[in-house]
Amino acid sequence: MLNPDMRQIAIYGKGGIGKSTIAANLSVALAQGSKEIMQVGCDPKRDSTRNLTGGRLIPTVLDTLRDCLRRGRDQHSIELEQIVFPGSAGVHCVEAGGPEPGIGCAGRGVLTAIQILRDLDAYRTYELDLVIYDVLGDVVCGGFAQPIREGFAREIFLVCSGEFMSLYAANNIARAIERLSRRGQARLSGLICNSRGHPTLEKLVLEAVAKRMGTQLVGFIPRSQSIGRCEVEGITVMEGAPESEAAGAFRTLSERVLATEGGVIPAPLELEELEHIYRHCAREEGS
Amino acid sequence: MNDLSQPMSSEYSEGAPSACHDPYLRCAFFGAAQTVTGIRRACVLSHSPQGCDQLVNTAFGWQQTDYLATKSLCSKLCEDEIVHGGEATLAKVIEDARAFSVSAVFVLTACGPEMVGDDIVAVCQEMAADVPFQLVPIECAGFRGTQYDGIDIALHGLLNQLVENPGEPMDKIPDSVILIAPHASANPSWPGDLSWVEDILERFGLTVLASLTHGTGLEQLRDIGRAQYSLMLTHDCGYRTETLLADRWDIRPLLPTSALNRSQRLPLPVGFSNTGRWLQRLGQVLDKEDLAQKMVVQGEQFAVEQLRRQGLPYEFFNGAQVAILADATLAVPLLGMLAEDLECEPVAVGIRSRAPELHALVRDECDRVAISPRIETGVGVYETAQILSAAKPDVIIGSNIERHLAEDLGIPYVLRVVNPVARFRLTNREYFGYHGFLNLMEIMQNDWWDTFRSKKRHNRAHWLDGRGEGVEP
Repeated sequence: MLNPDMRQIAIYGKGGIGKSTIAANLSVALAQGSKEIMQVGCDPKRDSTRNLTGGRLIPTVLDTLRDCLRRGRDQHSIELEQIVFPGSAGVHCVEAGGPEPGIGCAGRGVLTAIQILRDLDAYRTYELDLVIYDVLGDVVCGGFAQPIREGFAREIFLVCSGEFMSLYAANNIARAIERLSRRGQARLSGLICNSRGHPTLEKLVLEAVAKRMGTQLVGFIPRSQSIGRCEVEGITVMEGAPESEAAGAFRTLSERVLATEGGVIPAPLELEELEHIYRHCAREEGS
Repeated sequence: MNDLSQPMSSEYSEGAPSACHDPYLRCAFFGAAQTVTGIRRACVLSHSPQGCDQLVNTAFGWQQTDYLATKSLCSKLCEDEIVHGGEATLAKVIEDARAFSVSAVFVLTACGPEMVGDDIVAVCQEMAADVPFQLVPIECAGFRGTQYDGIDIALHGLLNQLVENPGEPMDKIPDSVILIAPHASANPSWPGDLSWVEDILERFGLTVLASLTHGTGLEQLRDIGRAQYSLMLTHDCGYRTETLLADRWDIRPLLPTSALNRSQRLPLPVGFSNTGRWLQRLGQVLDKEDLAQKMVVQGEQFAVEQLRRQGLPYEFFNGAQVAILADATLAVPLLGMLAEDLECEPVAVGIRSRAPELHALVRDECDRVAISPRIETGVGVYETAQILSAAKPDVIIGSNIERHLAEDLGIPYVLRVVNPVARFRLTNREYFGYHGFLNLMEIMQNDWWDTFRSKKRHNRAHWLDGRGEGVEP
């Protein structure tokens, strides 16, 4: 039975900022809190759920679909067991997959994969409380915004660090959310900081930017070597180092995500204003 | 929309034309399809979803191509090819073309595959050595422009890939001509115009080496470099092709239409006076003025006698205010024909295309016949309605589309001479030349009479003065 309160959240942010790490740990933290969670990796690299499956890369929805098409069948011949795999703490893991680099439309592929999940009634079958879409990189074209446009990703969290370019990317995504809010129900639910090791500056900058956008800083993940060590083992820090500071931060984040329903239509900043805020915070931190 | 009544300097600074409201024209993919379906013993492969392939079917009809002689294939792209790219599917369909006995396969790309990055040129290059036909990729996604842009793209593709770049002067075939873009005309049976031109050129002692394109063989295309002259049969496109032929193969324009030769530019031979001028100019260029004069005299005599014998009551044109809504190929010469031959007043002209070379030609023609109509280029149906609403002409010369607009606007006479026309025709009827002039008059006369065939429309035309004014009974 479909949970009428099922929430669909999407994690966006600059490439390499740590979206998959945060998504996987958040999924586990939520699942450990007795929630039924599905994590959908929306990146042709298909490594979003790697830390949930012991380092294994699972078959993707689009590859499975292609196999069906080659045999003259369509998406309805796909069994959910072929594309949904059990992961750590019972998180249901899905990888959308996508084209090879340099050809095809990855954005359209993501949408196709999500539509297949919907058509196969995956959300109802697994009685999910929450779906997390881990979306690739920046919003570089209309294709990558498809999960927002089509109403799948309704609550969006932007991952950034205190580095300026990550803020720049987050601001661009906020611009896309603002644009797409005209049609869909997508809203910005908050910023998540994946620290690069300058917590004072990062908190100052991100709180200021979040406030200016009309949202809030919902989580701060400290820089931690345990995260890196666990990733090498193909596990989340929630399992590999449950007592660590990072694991505690993910638990706090999960609580705040659960408490943060809805969201806002963001007010993106002009580049000059973003630079001004950054310089101002840097001076404040220095003094 | 581009208002030519404004100073030239401001025409392009005001930006792109307004958004497409009910465009008359189809996309670049269609123009390319129109062009390659004019090549005999070839196969047209549309690398597209299957809906776009309908445009190829329409192009077959436009070129009056024999389905048995020219083949058609479609890669029928679906979501899987959009997500992952359709190059593998294209390669498979190219393999399928082995079933046909063709010398060339033209691969046309639609919007989808170009947007997702399918490299049809690379696929064709990789497969070229393995297939028993020449592969000619043409990147002509619909978003690249109008059907006229598509014609230009395809003509360049054909010339660049099928005709060798000589590097040194080639042996010319004396008095040979290449005809450029006869299929760009909106005359619904344009091959009639092409036949007329071929016949006239033959009488002048010229040989048509190839038409770009209509029923053109690959061997004719490959020999194009040996032609001496080129001749444009459209005002809507083909200017780049004319330049390319001149630059690469030293093929001289017979009647120059490029901006560099503005003083020599002539409207195409539609109408009594235009045909005479066109023939006489040919005679001058070829140093056969006596022959040209003889053709003019004979043609005029034929047309006048025919009109006298048939008693064509075309007096309704006299002094009438007329709006022309057509492609440039017909609209430009119609300006002269209406003003000079029929003594009516063109008050508005809406031209579907907007080639930059067009502006000087239109302005020169208006100056020559001393008229100053409102002239706009790049019009869609919406703009046409605006033009007609403002101009309130007595008569519209256009297509079936304007007939519907006219009913709303209370304009009684709509003479349908350009595509789309809801008339079944079994034979090609030219608009060029003296015979073509009579064909046009016949169509106009019949449409004029049609106005009175409905009681309601008869009353409307009878009681209203053509400008929507007066008291309706």
